[in-house]
Amino acid sequence: MVDAARQPLIDVRAFTEVEKVEGFVGNFKVTLREKAKYVRADRCNGCGDCAKVCPIEIPNYFEMNLAPRKAAYIPMSQSVPLIYNIDMDACIHCYKCVEACGPLEAIDFSMTDKIVEEEIGAIIVATGFSHFDPTPMEEYGYNRYPNVITAMEMERLNNSAGPTAGNLIRPSDGKNPKKLAFINCVGSRDKRYIESCSNFCCMYSIKNAVLLKQMNPAFDITIYYMDIRTPSKGYEEFYDRARQMGIHFIQGRPALITEDPISHNLFIHSEDISLGKVVEHEYDMVMLNQAAIPQPDQNHMSSVLNVAQSPGGWYMEYHPKLRPMDSDRWHIFFAGACQGPKDIPSSVAQGSAAASRASRILHSDRWQIEPTVAVVWPDRCVSAEGKACGLCERACPYGAVLYEKGTAAEVITAKCHGCGACVAECPHDAITQLHYTDAQILAQIRALLATEPHKKILALRCHWCSYGGADLAGTSHFEYTSNERGIKVMCSARMDADFIYEAYRLGAGAVLYSGCHPQDCHYITGQIVGAKRAKRLETIFERLGMTPGRFRVEWISAAEGDKYARVLNEMQAVLDAIPEEELLAEIDRIKPDVTKRLTRLPNIPGVQAAMDHSDVMVKTILMKEKVA
Amino acid sequence: MSHDYSTSTFVDQVKAIPGGEFVELCYSCGTCTSKCMIQQKIEPEYNPRRLLRLVMMEMQEEAFESPTTWMCSECDLCYPACPQKIHISGVITAVKKIAVENGSKTILKTAVVDQQTCVACGLCAEACPYKAITIVDAKVPYRGLIKVAKVDPGLCMACGLCSAVCRSTSIGIPEEYSDESLVNNLWDWLLPQGVSI
Repeated sequence: MVDAARQPLIDVRAFTEVEKVEGFVGNFKVTLREKAKYVRADRCNGCGDCAKVCPIEIPNYFEMNLAPRKAAYIPMSQSVPLIYNIDMDACIHCYKCVEACGPLEAIDFSMTDKIVEEEIGAIIVATGFSHFDPTPMEEYGYNRYPNVITAMEMERLNNSAGPTAGNLIRPSDGKNPKKLAFINCVGSRDKRYIESCSNFCCMYSIKNAVLLKQMNPAFDITIYYMDIRTPSKGYEEFYDRARQMGIHFIQGRPALITEDPISHNLFIHSEDISLGKVVEHEYDMVMLNQAAIPQPDQNHMSSVLNVAQSPGGWYMEYHPKLRPMDSDRWHIFFAGACQGPKDIPSSVAQGSAAASRASRILHSDRWQIEPTVAVVWPDRCVSAEGKACGLCERACPYGAVLYEKGTAAEVITAKCHGCGACVAECPHDAITQLHYTDAQILAQIRALLATEPHKKILALRCHWCSYGGADLAGTSHFEYTSNERGIKVMCSARMDADFIYEAYRLGAGAVLYSGCHPQDCHYITGQIVGAKRAKRLETIFERLGMTPGRFRVEWISAAEGDKYARVLNEMQAVLDAIPEEELLAEIDRIKPDVTKRLTRLPNIPGVQAAMDHSDVMVKTILMKEKVA
Repeated sequence: MSHDYSTSTFVDQVKAIPGGEFVELCYSCGTCTSKCMIQQKIEPEYNPRRLLRLVMMEMQEEAFESPTTWMCSECDLCYPACPQKIHISGVITAVKKIAVENGSKTILKTAVVDQQTCVACGLCAEACPYKAITIVDAKVPYRGLIKVAKVDPGLCMACGLCSAVCRSTSIGIPEEYSDESLVNNLWDWLLPQGVSI
């Protein structure tokens, strides 16, 4: 940290909050609030005279509130930069610090928060994690029994720079404990609190136990665990070492801690699973290894940065295996536990990876993105005529579409990820997606439904999931109906209602509308846009009296090849169950209504030409087949 | 009520019964066992964690013989403590149901109805916390086809509430906890205290 502060190319802004992040890859505009420290950074030399004279004492957050600190303080002794800070919430304005500071004149009570704007090329988020507060778990009596403390509190008590100068004492009577217990998985792996495993606490509790045992071999230390997870290099050996040092491990989750009200000793009730017996042991002090949870303001930061969150509240990575340090926005990266609980080696590895990823953009003048971006035809946008619309802006998961009444909507190309949600949502067909234009997709639909359309099943699949699922069904040799005709688009959000109307107008037997599961969507909320539209279409077709099953909406992941095959076979069964003349009659009955919904289609630039061309091509191919 | 389990395994059968759905979530932490009053006060061999394990490992016979299957009183002390939110007494009841359908008998001495004196008033059926008592039509010697109370031994937990509410002394727990032996026990205790009739 000190090295980083000394490095001239690194600018450390302590006590600063990110207020707003605008812009896009390489051109972020970040608004920072530099909070008032009431001490001038250019004059303070970190002598600490102000803290010595300050009469106010409040709980020290860094010492887990086990020790006091002054209103004029530094957060911890290794603070970088070493500049004192006055806590205005606690200060009583006695100005003793001003006197103590003397000729340096570093203390300035007239300081206010400063708003600073910075041009930033890439952003790395490394906001860390927080701890689960075990107070709601009444069975462990934290905050009720003085000698039940958290492992973090133990860490401060055991630290030579901590409140007791490294002398581990019991909070109840200040005596040194002899029998100690650690309880793992407090709040984690628990469906009532935090469902996930916190990743590092097994090693953390073993480390703490080994440290204590090294300090004083007379300590009798027990670790209560459900499973000990030692997956990384050298971890299992460390676990072996801990057992050989005489640290006891009891497999069993304590159900209850009770306290002797006179001696304040604690009794842990648990089943010793290896013995198959319920046991009760007495301890002088119990340490709880709490679950790791996201920072309390992680939700706020995620909306400031406009990045997604995984279940549990952690920041969501672009891809869990291949791009664990990337966010779903280009050039916002994650490092460390803000993306999910992880230990120090993994955090360092992720941080280095994020830094090297970020340096790519800092060292290049140009940046390549996928070519499938959305483009607006300004003359078709009704907003330019002064009408209120803004559907495109609401559909975009990335905030890449700018809409303002009176001017045509605008797509910021560098922000666009190419899902096509805005394209399909636009009721006036004023937006198109390069390489997935309406003209191209409609031409494909015409070609696929050229002959005997009532026997065909048109499958619209998203690029990332359902297309992969169809691929897997093929490579795994799952048999499914040969009447399936598939079209790939980037996201289920791109599946324009026009495509489905056109398919039924051409007389398609059935249409499958498939995409990712909502939590898997590669475009943050693209699937939600698609699912809403699918729901709308389902009600429309129900009202038109279409046989249920002829329009089907399914969310199929790339791993669900079997589901893809099953769904298509079920759709084929639906078609088989309807007699042919009835099906044709139904198609004819629905046709006028869907045609009415498609009157604007030929006005979209390129669509009529593409459809005509497609028809000519199909005729040519059919003729050739006939001749052959 | 009987189910067709012919094609499914033991754990599938348990999961098919409401209450037993989440048995496979158990990761054997032992919280339920260390919470259990029956384990601590009555029967050391009683162990809900082990019963869930037996179910998961398809050890049907062992599960039917286990005292855990028969002795759970559904007090649900373990349910709020379970970190996996498994309704453990629901699983145990499911196992018991399958055991009864497979012909296993409870190890508890369940309530017995004296059909000769029962008047089918229904007090016992109302009092039963386990819904083990129903009023049925039965052919009773010397009394003909009449309505009498009937105890489902698969559901009865031998708590004795029915015996306490019965006005005609027609239902009770046999032997050790019968009305007679309980009164005798009371006298055995009262007489040495100097109580006279």
